[in-house]
Amino acid sequence: MTQKATVEVTVAQDKPAKSKGRVRYDKKAESEFFVDNSALAGFTTERILYMAVRELIENSLDSCETAHILPRISLSLKTLDSGNDLWMITCEDNGIGVPPDKVPVAVCSFLTSGKYVEKQQRGLFGVGLKMIAAFSTKDTIHPLKVWSKSSEEESEHYFELRTDISTNKPIVLAKKALKEGEGKVAGESGFRVEAVLRARLSQITRNNIKNKINEYISQTSVVNPYAIVEFETDEGKVTFDRRTEVMPQPAKEVLPHPADMDLQTLKKAIMNFMNQKTTLQGVLSTSFQKLSSGKAKEIIDNAKLENKPADKYTEHELIEVVNICRQTSFQQANTDHLSPIGEEILTAGMTSEYTIVTNREYVPAAEGASAPEVQRPQISVKVLKPSLTAYASRTCVVNNRPTIVECGIAYGGDIPSFKLYRFANKIPLLYDEGSDVAKEVVSEVEINKMGISKKEVKEQFANPDAKSDRAVELLPLHIFFHICSTKIPYKTAGKESIASEGDLKKYMKACLSELYRKVSAQIRKELRMKEAASRLNLYKHYIPLIVTAISESITVDSAKLEQAFAELAEKHVKGETTGLAVSEKEDEITGERLEEESEEVVEIDGEVIKPDREQIAINAARKKGKMSKPKGKKKEIPETLQKKNDPENQTTLDTVIDKPKGRKK
Amino acid sequence: MPTTDKRHQDVMKKIKLIMKDVSSDLMVSKTMPVLNVPKVGYDNTVWSEEKRMLTIGDKTVGISPDSTKKIPTFAQYLVMANAVRKLLDEEMESTIRGMYYATLSTVGDEKNKQKFWTGQENSDDAIKAIELLTGVPREEFSVTSKPKGMISGPITLRVGGDIIDCNLGSRATSQLIPTNIRDVEIVKVKADFVMVVEKDTVLNNIRKSGFIQKYNAILLTGSGEPDRATRMMVKTLNEEWKKPVVVFADADPWGLGIALRYKIGSESLSYDSDRLVTPDAKVLGMMFSDIDRYQIPEVARLAASDEDINRANDMKKKPWFQDKKWQKELDIFLKSKEKCELDAFFKHGFKYLAEVYLPEKLREAGVI
Repeated sequence: MTQKATVEVTVAQDKPAKSKGRVRYDKKAESEFFVDNSALAGFTTERILYMAVRELIENSLDSCETAHILPRISLSLKTLDSGNDLWMITCEDNGIGVPPDKVPVAVCSFLTSGKYVEKQQRGLFGVGLKMIAAFSTKDTIHPLKVWSKSSEEESEHYFELRTDISTNKPIVLAKKALKEGEGKVAGESGFRVEAVLRARLSQITRNNIKNKINEYISQTSVVNPYAIVEFETDEGKVTFDRRTEVMPQPAKEVLPHPADMDLQTLKKAIMNFMNQKTTLQGVLSTSFQKLSSGKAKEIIDNAKLENKPADKYTEHELIEVVNICRQTSFQQANTDHLSPIGEEILTAGMTSEYTIVTNREYVPAAEGASAPEVQRPQISVKVLKPSLTAYASRTCVVNNRPTIVECGIAYGGDIPSFKLYRFANKIPLLYDEGSDVAKEVVSEVEINKMGISKKEVKEQFANPDAKSDRAVELLPLHIFFHICSTKIPYKTAGKESIASEGDLKKYMKACLSELYRKVSAQIRKELRMKEAASRLNLYKHYIPLIVTAISESITVDSAKLEQAFAELAEKHVKGETTGLAVSEKEDEITGERLEEESEEVVEIDGEVIKPDREQIAINAARKKGKMSKPKGKKKEIPETLQKKNDPENQTTLDTVIDKPKGRKK
Repeated sequence: MPTTDKRHQDVMKKIKLIMKDVSSDLMVSKTMPVLNVPKVGYDNTVWSEEKRMLTIGDKTVGISPDSTKKIPTFAQYLVMANAVRKLLDEEMESTIRGMYYATLSTVGDEKNKQKFWTGQENSDDAIKAIELLTGVPREEFSVTSKPKGMISGPITLRVGGDIIDCNLGSRATSQLIPTNIRDVEIVKVKADFVMVVEKDTVLNNIRKSGFIQKYNAILLTGSGEPDRATRMMVKTLNEEWKKPVVVFADADPWGLGIALRYKIGSESLSYDSDRLVTPDAKVLGMMFSDIDRYQIPEVARLAASDEDINRANDMKKKPWFQDKKWQKELDIFLKSKEKCELDAFFKHGFKYLAEVYLPEKLREAGVI
């Protein structure tokens, strides 16, 4: 949080002969540093548009949530000048806005932020919006336009801004208070940014980035179902509806936890009491949570120091206090500063999952024109409704910080295939899935916790298009992981994947296992239905072959035979799915049917066979064929029972014959 | 003429009966049909002391379309039965491979297509099932396999209308034993005895040495696992033509197993033992004791594998293996853990096998 502009060491190159070996020390402005090292904040050439969208949406959501306002965000990303690779990005929200005197620095000056406090927020560094302003200044002649209607002010203000990159200061080109009716911001308060950015993208990266942006917005809407998000592009406009009025409890600012104390935090705490002659004991107990006055005394005693006004200690003595704090055990930190999504909201997001899809639309050629039809991509919103969802969460301590793990799963319904969603402090993580701890968790939690085996899954959900043959990834299942903490253990500076630090993985696994168990009954039921369907399908494919074989050999009404077989198969499959013993069911039904159909004449191979004559016919037939090896049928035992009672019978002839007899040389 | 052939008509009648039973189950009694196929395998093979051969027990396997696993098998059996009926109807004959091709097809729709057969073994199994269901060996319904067995010596066969003299003077080749056994007839046998060896390489060596002429013998081999035609040929020569039969195989549990195919039959064909097994055949070698007795050099001996040891331990317990002489032989093997092929005698010289070892063994057994 206290990231400082770095003093860069540059070797002067201009006069090599005279200044040989001399090093010139320069102070570099924060803005210059960030522009030069834009990749640190994720602003690479390829991702600039994606990052801009991300930063703007996150700022807007934070701004709304701080004041518990149901968010309404309109975002637009359109080509402005394709010849010069210019894009226009606009974002408007109904958040608290920014007071007019703060707007220029809030937009342009790096490391100026209202977010340097100990609570969970999406943005943390005060870099995002500034990056957009700096890039806009660097690459285009267009000023950044801002409309802000602060909740503290009456009127809306309009600004045209650019960044002085070499000094990290805003350049205000225009500023005016707008009269009633002139404003652009629709709500009672709000903020609107209009920026022009240059992004030179090849066709492939352009599509790729567009997909990522669509994905980002879709995923954002899953964890923010209480927000209305409008998104407009060259391909059309989509709107994500609000699915719930419930908003997460906003995070509260809290005092730092003593276990996480370092010299800097301690000195900062003491600075706040400058010239007030407060003792160290007083400073400690008022500046840190879970640290009573008594406990503070204990710490000072343990450090073998006397209790005196806090500003009278040497650094050497203070570091002793820090060391003692590190060794002392405290009550677990409270989690008021965290804002988990919560069961109700995540469930609302999961039960109607909005995603942006791109359709290719054929536009017929204009009349008389010789040009062929053109394909025009068109975006629209698809709503996925799963057949079931479940939620679980755990609180734990990772990196000395309280951390909340939330996990949700959505199964079946419109969900076409497996997908893992990862969120950190409500921000979707889209890159580096392979190295994320969530991926490890998914592959390590056994699918049999759902009460189904890998084999069953592979049989029923076999999908030639699947990228992975891991059983869980064949299921129509969406798994959501949300980690919230003020210090997410990111693996890389790009903040796209989370490392398996401390007990984080253990708690994530516990969540997922719990969910697997929760949905097991339902999934087993679905699997059984699917099995039944695929068995019926199997009958559908094999019955014609069997009927042909029979009707070519003997004279029989093949249509009737096929129908009889199909009916029997269906009854058989149904009987097994509902779990009712087939025999019972059939007894009832067959009894009725036999009576009904006894009038009907069944003719097989020139012989009329009536049900009551059945046994006689078969016996007669059997006599004729007594040469044949035992082929007696146990009519009195229903097949299903027979099957269950005699597992030996399960061994087919094939398996017996297939037994390896190969000689090993 | 097959259509008028009583046996062919019988097979067709039985196939139609199966079809009729299935139809009547489906249409009249509205139950899932079951094909009760006698079970083939080690757990349904019974040693008959009286017949001195392996016979099939009374366990059956119910193949019914009531379970997902068995729908394909059930369909395969019926499709194969129909194909056999067609074959007989058209008065044709076919190899098992031919039957596989004749019934090839795919199952399912565009989205989910499967092969009807996963391979020829699959279709071979279905043919076997038809044999079991009808109780008629496949040669009787004109389905044969590629010939594999070989015969040499003073014997004359008639195959269809052609006369084949197997006493080929050149010593350079042997006659393949035809597999369409229904068309094969033995016309004349002048030999004094029949000698069966495990492998064709050994048979070639013995033939070339002039053994046939010197001892007036018929040489036979199944080239490893003997096919049915070879086994039947041996049985006919022994039982109808009253010629003594001796068997030589490698001195290892596997070779011994092959030798026993002729003498007691096999698990996989236990249902057909009556036609295939020659209980009076004598297994004369190669004995495990022969390895030391004939001083087979160290380099020509092979170390027994774990599988060999298991197999020998298994054999020791079998009821047909309780002869003291054989128990002793197996003990020798289990102790030395050494096995040896007949070919090892070539180390003593190319003629040693035919001119020293075999005559000595035959003399001991009183065959010559």
